[in-house]
Amino acid sequence: MKISRRNLLQYAANASALAATGAIPGALTRAFAEEPRRIIPWKNWSGGQSCTPAIRTAPASETELADIVGRSATPIRAVGAGHSFSPLVPTEGTLLSLDRLSGIVSHDTATHRATFRAGTRLGAMAAALAERDLALDNMPDIDKQTIAGAIATATHGTGIELGSLSTFVTDLKLMTASGELVACGETTNSALFDAARVSLGALGIVTEVTMQARPLYKLKRRTWIAPVEEMLERAPELWTAHRNFEFYYVPYSGLAIGITNDETDEAETPEPVNEDDDGLMQLKQLQDWLGWSPSARRWVIQTIMGGMDPEERVDYSHKTLSAERNVRFNEMEYHLPREAGPQALREIIAAIENGNMEVFFPIEFRTTAPDDIWLSPFYRRDSCSIAVHRFHEADYGPYFSAIEPIFRKHDGRPHWGKLNTLAAADFAALYPKWNDFLEIRTELDPEGRFLNPYLRSVFGVGA
Amino acid sequence: MLAALALTALTGCGGDEKSAAPVVLNAHEATLYRHSCSTCHEDPATGAPQTHDTEIWAPRIAKGDEQLLASIVDGFNGMPPLGQCIECTAEEFILLTHFMAAPASGETDE
Repeated sequence: MKISRRNLLQYAANASALAATGAIPGALTRAFAEEPRRIIPWKNWSGGQSCTPAIRTAPASETELADIVGRSATPIRAVGAGHSFSPLVPTEGTLLSLDRLSGIVSHDTATHRATFRAGTRLGAMAAALAERDLALDNMPDIDKQTIAGAIATATHGTGIELGSLSTFVTDLKLMTASGELVACGETTNSALFDAARVSLGALGIVTEVTMQARPLYKLKRRTWIAPVEEMLERAPELWTAHRNFEFYYVPYSGLAIGITNDETDEAETPEPVNEDDDGLMQLKQLQDWLGWSPSARRWVIQTIMGGMDPEERVDYSHKTLSAERNVRFNEMEYHLPREAGPQALREIIAAIENGNMEVFFPIEFRTTAPDDIWLSPFYRRDSCSIAVHRFHEADYGPYFSAIEPIFRKHDGRPHWGKLNTLAAADFAALYPKWNDFLEIRTELDPEGRFLNPYLRSVFGVGA
Repeated sequence: MLAALALTALTGCGGDEKSAAPVVLNAHEATLYRHSCSTCHEDPATGAPQTHDTEIWAPRIAKGDEQLLASIVDGFNGMPPLGQCIECTAEEFILLTHFMAAPASGETDE
C-alpha cells in the first residue's frame, strides 16, 4: 500500500475520467474532494476480483442516485457485499454502494409483504421481518449479501418446493440509464419484471424491492453423518421428505454431512457454538500434513467424523438456515437438472480423489424449485446445485478447470455470481429467453453504461 | 506532492497515542461505522475484535497505520477486503480503526 508512481498515474487517469463527466453531482462531493485522496483498490470478499474505480460513492437518496447514473464515469456498477466471485462488479468508472439506501420502507400485515431499500443486507432484512413477526420462505447459506445483489444473481437456499430469493420478489423499482425510475411487478410491466428479477445489474440500479414473506416460523435443524454413497442413494427420498435438505461431501473421507430443516412448534434450543470455521481449518491442516497419502487422510477424517453424534437445533428459520462463514474462498457452482445431480457428484468425487487433487473444502449439494424468470438458472427446471470451493489464498484454476466439464456435460447453468468460463453463445444456448432479455437491456441502456468488460462478453456486446 | 499530502493526512489520523483516548466520530464517519464496521465488530460471534476492547486492539494498533491499512484493503482473516465499506477513504479506514481501538466515549453521535 505504498504510494507509488503507478498510484499517482492512476490518480491522474481517474481525475481525467472525472473531469470528462462534466459538472460534479451533489452526491459525488466527497469523491471530488479538493484535496487528493489516496487511491485504494476495491476487492471482492474473496480478494479474487479487484479494480480501481475512478469514483467510489454511496448515494443516500434516489435523487442522488439519478445524478450519479446520469453523469458519472462509466461503466457504472453497483456493488453489494462483494460476494460475487465472477467479475460482475469490477469497473474503472463508477463503483456505487447502496449501503445508504437500506432498511425497511413499509410492510403489509394482511399480505405479509414488505418493501426494503435495495442495499439492505439479508441478515438485516430477516431481523426486520422477524420484528414484525414475518420471515421469508427460505434463506441462503450466508446472509451478508444485499437484497439487490442477491436477486441480481438468483441467490438461493435449498428445498425442492422453494425458489431462489428472486422468486420472493413481488415488485421492484429500477433506475435506468436515463435516470428514470421504473416500477415493475407481478401486475405492472410484467416483461420487465421477468427480466429485472435476475438482471446482473445490467438493466439499471434497483432501488427498492418488495418481498413476499410469511408469518414467522421455527425450524428443527438436524445434522448427521453418513457414507456418501448412502447419502447419494437416499437423496431423492430426503429432498422429498424434508422442507430443506442439503449435504456436504468431505473430500477424501467417503463421508457426507446431511442437514435437514422442518417446521416445528417446539421450544427453541440454545444456539450452538459455530465450529464450522475451525473444522475447515482442521481439514486444511490434514491436507497439508497428509495430502501425500489419501488413505491415511481418509482414516484420520473417518476416525474423527465417525465419533460425531447427530445434532438437533430448533430456532427461527433465518437463524437455522444461514450461518457465519469467515474462512474466505473462491467458488464455482452449477445448477443441474435435479435427476443428474447425484451422478454428477459421483464423477466430481472420482475426479478429485483419483487425481489426488488438492481439495479440502466440503462439496455442497442443494436443490431449488423452478421459476419463470428469464435469466434465472432455475428457469423452468427442477434443479440441484453443486458447489466446489477453493481456499482464497490458493489458485482455483486447476481444480475448477477439472470440474467444470462435468457440470457442463450434465447441462449445468452456472450461478451468476460464481466462477465459470462460459461466453455469450453458451448462455444463449442455456437460456430460452436470452434474446428477450437482450432486447430489454438494449432498450433500457443503449449505450451500455451499466456494462463492464465482463458483462459485455456475457451479452456479446462490443466495446 | 500528492503522495506527501496523502501521507500527511494518514499521519494525522494514526499513532499509538491516539488509541489511548476516545476517538469522536462526526456524523458521516458514524454512518460509515454503523453501516460497515459495526456489523462484525459489535458481534462477538464473528470472532472480530470488538469495538472499544482496547486490550485486544493494542497489538494490532502497534503494527502502525500502514500495516493496518494494508490489512483492511486486502482483508485479514475473516474480515473481507475494505471491511465491506465501499465508500470509505484510506483516511477514514484508519480513523475508524482507531475509533474501535480506543475506549468508548459518550460524545460520539452514533
